[in-house]
Amino acid sequence: MIEATVKKKLGSFTLDANVSDENFVCLTGKNGSGKTTLINLIGGILIPDEGHITLNSKTITNLPIERRQVSIITPDSCIPHLDVDRHIVWGAKNKGLNVEQDYITEIKTSLGIGFDGKVRKLSLGMRERVALATSLISKPELMLVDEVLSNIDNRRDFIDAFKNFATKAKIDVIFTTQSPEDSSEADHHYRLESGKSTRLF
Amino acid sequence: MNWLKLVSGLSLALLVIPVLFLLYEGFGPLRDPIGYSYEVFKSIELTLISSAIAATVSVALFTPLAYYFARNKNSIGETLSDIPASIPHPIVGVAILVIASPLTPFGKFLLSIGINFFDSILGLIVALTIVSAPIYIKSMQPFFQSMNIAHENYALGLGASKFRTFISVVLPNSGRGILSASLISMSRAMSEFGSIAIIAYYVLQQPFYGVNPAPVLIFQYYTYYGLGAAVTASAVMILVSIAMMILLRLVKH
Repeated sequence: MIEATVKKKLGSFTLDANVSDENFVCLTGKNGSGKTTLINLIGGILIPDEGHITLNSKTITNLPIERRQVSIITPDSCIPHLDVDRHIVWGAKNKGLNVEQDYITEIKTSLGIGFDGKVRKLSLGMRERVALATSLISKPELMLVDEVLSNIDNRRDFIDAFKNFATKAKIDVIFTTQSPEDSSEADHHYRLESGKSTRLF
Repeated sequence: MNWLKLVSGLSLALLVIPVLFLLYEGFGPLRDPIGYSYEVFKSIELTLISSAIAATVSVALFTPLAYYFARNKNSIGETLSDIPASIPHPIVGVAILVIASPLTPFGKFLLSIGINFFDSILGLIVALTIVSAPIYIKSMQPFFQSMNIAHENYALGLGASKFRTFISVVLPNSGRGILSASLISMSRAMSEFGSIAIIAYYVLQQPFYGVNPAPVLIFQYYTYYGLGAAVTASAVMILVSIAMMILLRLVKH
């Protein structure tokens, strides 16, 4: 359960948003509406001027990124020099989690990761699949997926599979998208307009 | 020819002509065998080795600082790190001399534990590191700034500490930047004269007992033997520097 009531002024732009939900949350809005700013505030890349953020009843408003149990995935998110198999377990190893090979294989198959090689040499869509799989296996409490899903082919199937794994692992997800049809996959939908959030369902 | 090409060609010629002229004179009309004697090559060897060690020390000690400056605004820290490069270099030599002097309590302490900077390879490396490290930091800082911070935020979000992110994410993807910056830093160390003329005019340790660093030797040849020996030794040193620059270009590409 993520609860964020935040205000942040960046130049002439002011974000004044409120998100309070769990499971699979969709965030839509035009360019410059504040989606990435909100993601960065929840992820710890930015600190709000006012407000508070709690995750599963713990206050994380001023915590550094590495202590939030929040994974941020953007189109550039990866550890470029690793090969796919080492990348996928990197986060879990960091946290000292023991991950069964069957689970890794299941995730790789379901998310369409049937390739190998250095992550920096993969296409954008392939890299994003690997980044999302790595985050899922590291079991954060919240995944922030910013403009990632639109670069992936067979998107509907991919989102279904991704949502399925996130739900089973009890990981809340907030994903941003420009595509209105992606919101139909979500449990909740927020729209941002000029820095103001509206809960649609 | 457009005006920019013309101006660029002229300004490049301003830099290159003196070097070509020196090479021509050094290996031509003013050639003096003293300028390519065993002593010169030993001196160049000392300069290359000490400069390479200074560059390695810079990599080990100053890479985290360059990364810190790249990721945090700290104009005071950046100004302080520029000081050794922006003051007259004999001052650096005098400063090291004072630190290591038996006249000061700290110098006495250093000598009591066997650390001597004066006329030693250690003193030479310390001086070269101090004057070339700011160049290394200035080269690495924009490299780190150009690295995509999304990789680091992703690693932090996966629970990695800042230290682990630096060691396991930033450094493995910085190899080319570190190599390029350390070669620039080494080139700067090779050309150093001011500080080492004071702290290590010559070295009194094997395997370089009595050997001058190359820039000091060229100055010495000029004062002892005159222009011919100095110009020939300079031409030899320039060839070594050109080889370094070619290596640098190869690394960059």
